[in-house]
Amino acid sequence: MDNTTAARWQVRGRPRGKQRQALHSLPRFERWPLCVSDTLDPNALPYAVPKSALPGVRWPAVPDAAASRMLALQFQLQQSQWWPPEVIEKRQFEQLRHVLAHALRTVPFYRERLAQAGFDSRVPLQRELWARIPLATRKQLQLHRQELRSSAIPPEHGNVTEISTSGSTGTPLTIWATATYALIWQAITLREHFWHRRDFDAKLAVIRTQPSGGAQYPQGVLAPGWGPSTDVAYATGPTPTLNPTCGTLEQAEWLVRQNPDYLLIGATRALELARHFCRTGLKLARLREVRTLGEVIADDLREQCREAWGTRVVDMYSAREIGYLALQCPRHEHYHVQSENALMEILDEQGRPCREGEIGRVVVSTLHNFATPLIRYEIGDYAEVGEACPCGRGLPVITRILGRVRNMMTMPDGTRRWPNFMLDKAHSDLPPAQMQIVQTALDTLELRAAPARPLVAHEHTRMLEYLRDWAGPQFKVGVRIVDAIPRNAGGKFEEFMSLIKDGE
Amino acid sequence: MTNLSSLPFAVPNSGLPGVAWPAVPDDAASRMLALQLQLDQSQWWPAAMIEKRQFEQLHGVLAHAQRNVPFHGPRLAAAGFDPRVPLDRDLWSRIPVMTRREVQLNRDALASRSIPPEHGAVREITTSGSTGRAITVLATEVHAIIWQAITLREHLWHRRDLAAKLAVIRSRSGGTAEYPAGRIEPGWGPSTDVAYRTGECAILNTSCTTAEQAEWLARQDPDYLLTTATRARELARLFRRSGQVLRRLREVRTYGEALADDLREQCRDTWGVPVVDMYSAEEIGYIALQCPEREHYHVQSENVLVEFLDDLGRPCRAGEIGRVVISSLHNFATPLIRYEIGDYAEVGAVCPCGRGLPVLKRIMGRVRNMLRMPDGNTRWPNFMLAKTRSDLPVAQIQIVQTALDTLELRVLPEQPLSSQERGRLLDYVRDWAGPQFKVQLRIVDAIPRGAGGKFEEFLSELPQ
Repeated sequence: MDNTTAARWQVRGRPRGKQRQALHSLPRFERWPLCVSDTLDPNALPYAVPKSALPGVRWPAVPDAAASRMLALQFQLQQSQWWPPEVIEKRQFEQLRHVLAHALRTVPFYRERLAQAGFDSRVPLQRELWARIPLATRKQLQLHRQELRSSAIPPEHGNVTEISTSGSTGTPLTIWATATYALIWQAITLREHFWHRRDFDAKLAVIRTQPSGGAQYPQGVLAPGWGPSTDVAYATGPTPTLNPTCGTLEQAEWLVRQNPDYLLIGATRALELARHFCRTGLKLARLREVRTLGEVIADDLREQCREAWGTRVVDMYSAREIGYLALQCPRHEHYHVQSENALMEILDEQGRPCREGEIGRVVVSTLHNFATPLIRYEIGDYAEVGEACPCGRGLPVITRILGRVRNMMTMPDGTRRWPNFMLDKAHSDLPPAQMQIVQTALDTLELRAAPARPLVAHEHTRMLEYLRDWAGPQFKVGVRIVDAIPRNAGGKFEEFMSLIKDGE
Repeated sequence: MTNLSSLPFAVPNSGLPGVAWPAVPDDAASRMLALQLQLDQSQWWPAAMIEKRQFEQLHGVLAHAQRNVPFHGPRLAAAGFDPRVPLDRDLWSRIPVMTRREVQLNRDALASRSIPPEHGAVREITTSGSTGRAITVLATEVHAIIWQAITLREHLWHRRDLAAKLAVIRSRSGGTAEYPAGRIEPGWGPSTDVAYRTGECAILNTSCTTAEQAEWLARQDPDYLLTTATRARELARLFRRSGQVLRRLREVRTYGEALADDLREQCRDTWGVPVVDMYSAEEIGYIALQCPEREHYHVQSENVLVEFLDDLGRPCRAGEIGRVVISSLHNFATPLIRYEIGDYAEVGAVCPCGRGLPVLKRIMGRVRNMLRMPDGNTRWPNFMLAKTRSDLPVAQIQIVQTALDTLELRVLPEQPLSSQERGRLLDYVRDWAGPQFKVQLRIVDAIPRGAGGKFEEFLSELPQ
């Protein structure tokens, strides 16, 4: 973007005087993300035109029924993102009242809970009543799987499918979800593309575990489009996918061969690949953006991706049983809660809502899944509450997602905190290694390292010193060299893991 | 406090039980909102992107017209149109402009021999026009869908409260919605009601007097009033004189006539409300809508390509007045390609609101509303008749050019005029017209409207 163009956009985008208040509610293109160069690429959002179902009518397109439904949702999401927070909350409670009424009537697990909280479907739902509804833990969801299923799912909500998620502990959680749930999931997938003004013509490479076991190296598998969320309404570019059962070296080779515009990948793998590219000097000439999902992103991931490929990282926070929880702001590195999909509460140890800057438990309620409604479900993650975003969106902000309780460190005095170590600092004068810190006892930390080559004695000592410096005198520390550090049952890599019993 | 029934806070009707927000609308509503999403995006596109999309779309229209519309076939061939080659400005400007008269004479030759069945039912649209010579075109359902989509866009632009009451005073055939009852509809109409719940709509046929209209309006006490510009002005005047109020009125929406200079002022003074004007034509759909932030108009480029051409057929620049030439983007039944609708308009500069849709500063009216000077030049009369009227007991005034050097001032007085008042009226017009015109005063019982029901402040009787 040249200076003149940048200036023009900035002038347009800045809220001025009296307009400031109106900006909240006016969906305006000029306030869209403009981090990408303004090249007027006709296939990049928001210039891309949907597929038309009528011969001879290209623009504005008159799309078919499925595409229209997707775009009708998009139109609403486009508006609601700019609503003031109180309007968003009001709409959420209106919707949740339907969910609660349905749950009270047809879901045994909630009957008692909602009745005791004093829920009456004839009365508008209020915050006070809401706060009286007990939280549902992951463990409870696992134990009460059948009682959580609605006995009368509205047939209009479409096919019901079973969703199983292994989670980090390896105990699977199974819920049922309707086609409406899937539809909202897809709508927010498409919103994410809108937010980040993706070019639909571009090539998207995906490195993700394939439950089917397919897409193996060296070929992977090539799909003609990005997937149903986009393809229902737009023509999209090719999508090569690779199952990361192979090593980083092979993934890198495959990536170079694919030469994609976008890369969708887990955060840890992205970090490993970025490091690999930095070390080897390999390039991805066309890469514009790394899209991450499914893991807490390491402190240095953004920096590494900038260094390796000159690209930014766009992260998403989602869970299979919930759908999208938060998406990265188009203009900042923090996240906007996807309030149209779920109500997210961040609660402190006493169950009170956290304030800006505080870290708390993530508690989620889904707005549309009438098969297994999740009401005040404690997903197990922790997140930090952010302040209102200067981008103007009324969707709540979370600054960081911190992972699960078992990724928290317990201090010898019993208090817990989020470990914040720069593992890769240790990399600068040590051979590259995958590392994990494990708290094996209240006063003991173990650094597990899988180095690329055997360590010599002074490197071993150096590593131990790093750990001791970081942990402080109240911990006993040790280093253990291992062949590989396994991912957790959910396929995610954890930099810190606590083995202390009450940690989960 | 945010009004949740007003746009953009209103939530569409959902087709699924238990799912209120975001709504999952039915097919018809989804189609309407899918169009709305596109309109929401394209309004902010840079002008170059809008034009690119228009030419892509017009390419399809031209290919269809060349194949299926006898009138256009030879014209397009002569201009060098080749459906295998993308359309560009140069080729476009070689396509001859078609006049209203040609549309009248070539009704059958303009009808497509093969309308894509996917474009839906075809209906006939007849528009009388101000000259009284009717033109008839065929239009598909797609034409209607786009019409409705832009109607809804207009509500979005002006952030209407969909729960509010809308009063409509318009000419209706067949003795419906007659005074005193008028007619009450449960919603605002198909463009909104397909997707949203709307308030009551009270309709009155204009077959009654202004006093009766005013009485009906006071009785209805609406939030919005939709009527023609002249009627709005007459009503404002009457309310001001009678001291009656419309307590709830928030906005006057006008259509169908060039706005008089003082209409906005009158409505502000009388009811304390703004005027929001639209520029449309039956055979075309929406041509331009008033900007949400300014008093000028944005061309509805998603519906039509509008050119403003000077006497030599060259595009006018900002500040210039030219002939309005329109091409509709979606009507495959009677494609109108470079159709000179008969209006003149002033081109505006790029709008500070940020929309890339071209700006139309003023709609001047038709050729017959143009003054011819004795030296042969023409100009748009820009007299402040309103000022003249405000301190004289005059209900309506019209200036008619009866000869190259003669203007006749036709006056419908509210009470007999004194000779001094007559003198003042004549002086006003003489001052405005200059010494090259003879000015005559004629007291009349009524000033007839044009055949399209439109009132014309200035009318030329010289042969066009």
